[in-house]
Amino acid sequence: MLAMLNLPDAASRRVKGAVRDGISPLQAGLRGGVRETRDVVRYVRGLGDLALENRALSEEIVYLRGETRMAQELARDNQMLRDLLGFAQRFPNKLISCEVIGRDSTGWWQTVRLDKGAAAGVVEGRAVLTTDGLIGRTMAVSARTADVLLLSDPSCKVSVRLKRSGEFGLAEGQGAQPGQAPAVRVDYLLKTADVQPGDEVVTSGLGGLFPKGLPVGRVAEVALDASGLYQTARIELAADLGKLEYAFVAATEKDLAAVRAAPVPADVVLDDETDYLEGEEP
Amino acid sequence: MTLLMLLFWLLVGGTLQAAVPAWRHMGQPAFPILLGVVLYAALNKKARYFVAAAILAGLVEDALSLAPLGYSSCAHLAAGALAVLLRKDFFADRAFTTSWVGALCAAAATGTLALLLRSKGLVALSGREMLWRMAGSAVLAAALIPLLFGLMRGLERRLGTWEDRA
Repeated sequence: MLAMLNLPDAASRRVKGAVRDGISPLQAGLRGGVRETRDVVRYVRGLGDLALENRALSEEIVYLRGETRMAQELARDNQMLRDLLGFAQRFPNKLISCEVIGRDSTGWWQTVRLDKGAAAGVVEGRAVLTTDGLIGRTMAVSARTADVLLLSDPSCKVSVRLKRSGEFGLAEGQGAQPGQAPAVRVDYLLKTADVQPGDEVVTSGLGGLFPKGLPVGRVAEVALDASGLYQTARIELAADLGKLEYAFVAATEKDLAAVRAAPVPADVVLDDETDYLEGEEP
Repeated sequence: MTLLMLLFWLLVGGTLQAAVPAWRHMGQPAFPILLGVVLYAALNKKARYFVAAAILAGLVEDALSLAPLGYSSCAHLAAGALAVLLRKDFFADRAFTTSWVGALCAAAATGTLALLLRSKGLVALSGREMLWRMAGSAVLAAALIPLLFGLMRGLERRLGTWEDRA
C-alpha cells in the first residue's frame, strides 16, 4: 500500500496505463452493446407505434420504412464524417481523429476518454477539439487511451482573446450543474476593455499549449469581478461538451515523428500506401 | 469467495465503473460499484480478502481517473474498516441493513478521498460541497449496494462458494 502511494511518477503512469488499457476494450465493447440495444429498442418502438397508428399497414411497408430510416441514419453519419474530414483537411496542425469512449466516472473531474493514445501519437498536454471548437486538453495518456480534461473543469485554464477587440483573458472552468450547460468564465479582462455579449472568444496562443485562434465560445454575460479591477465574462462554449462523439487531438510533427520512429504495436494499422498512422492526415 | 471470484467481480465492477458516468446530482458522486465489492468482502469474508479487494479496487478506480495511485485504496480501506467494525451488529443479509451500512461506508469513502485530494490541491472543493457529495454517495450506495450484494450472493450460491460469514 505504501509502495503504491510512493511509486515514482513514471512507474505510477505505467501501472495506471496498463490497467486502463486492459479495461478499455471491455469498456468499448460495453458501449457498443449499449448502442446496439438502443437501436433495437428504437426500431421495435417504431414498429409498435406504426401498429397503433394503422393496423392495416403491411409488413412490407414497415420493412421499407425501417430501411428508409436506416438510410437516413447512414446519410447523417456520412455527412458528419464528410464534415470531420473537411475540417481535418482545413486545420493547419496534424489532427488525430478519435472516438469518445467514456466520460468521467468518478465525478471529481470533468473528463472524457478517447480511444487513441500514445501508440497513435497522442501526447499529454495537447489541445483537443471538435469541428465546433476547443473542448480541452489531453491529460493522462496510456498506449491506447487518452483522458481529456474538459474546458468546464475548474482546473482547466486557457489563455484566450476576444476576437473583436483583441482583449486577453483567462478562461477557467466552473464545473457542470445538472440541467445546465457546462459553465466557463473568462477572468482578468481589463476594466476598460470593450466586451460585449456575443463577442467571439478564441485561444490566444500564449503559453504555447493551445494553437492560436481556436474557437472557444461566445460571451454571454459581462460583469465586474469582486475586486472591481477587472471584468469577468461568462461564456457559452462553441462545442457541446455533453454530446461528444468524436474529437481531434492537435498533434505536432514531433509527436508523430516519435511514433513513426518507435516500433509499431501489432494493433496499430498503417496505411499501406502512405505509411501514415490510421486516423492521421498526410 | 475465492480469489478468482473476487478478481471476476473487480473486473466486472471496473468495467461498469468505467462505463457509467458519475451521477449528475448531489455533487456528482460516482456510482459505488467497486466499493460494493469491497464492502461485500468486508462484511462476509475473511480480512485478507477485504484488504486485497480494497487495494485492487482502489488501483482500478485510480487508473480510471486522474487521482494519484493509492488514494482510492485508502478510501476503500477506511470504508471497509468501518464496515468490519459494524459487521457484528447487524444482519448482513437484510436489504435494509446493507442499505444503511452501505450508505454510511460510501459517505466515509467519499469523505476520505475528498480530504486526500484536497490536501494535495487536486480538487477545489469547499466543506459544504464535500458534505453534499458525501450525502450523494450515501444515497447512491443505499440504493445500489443491496442490489449488488444480492447479485454477488446469488452467484456465489449458484457456484457453491457461499459460506455464511467467514
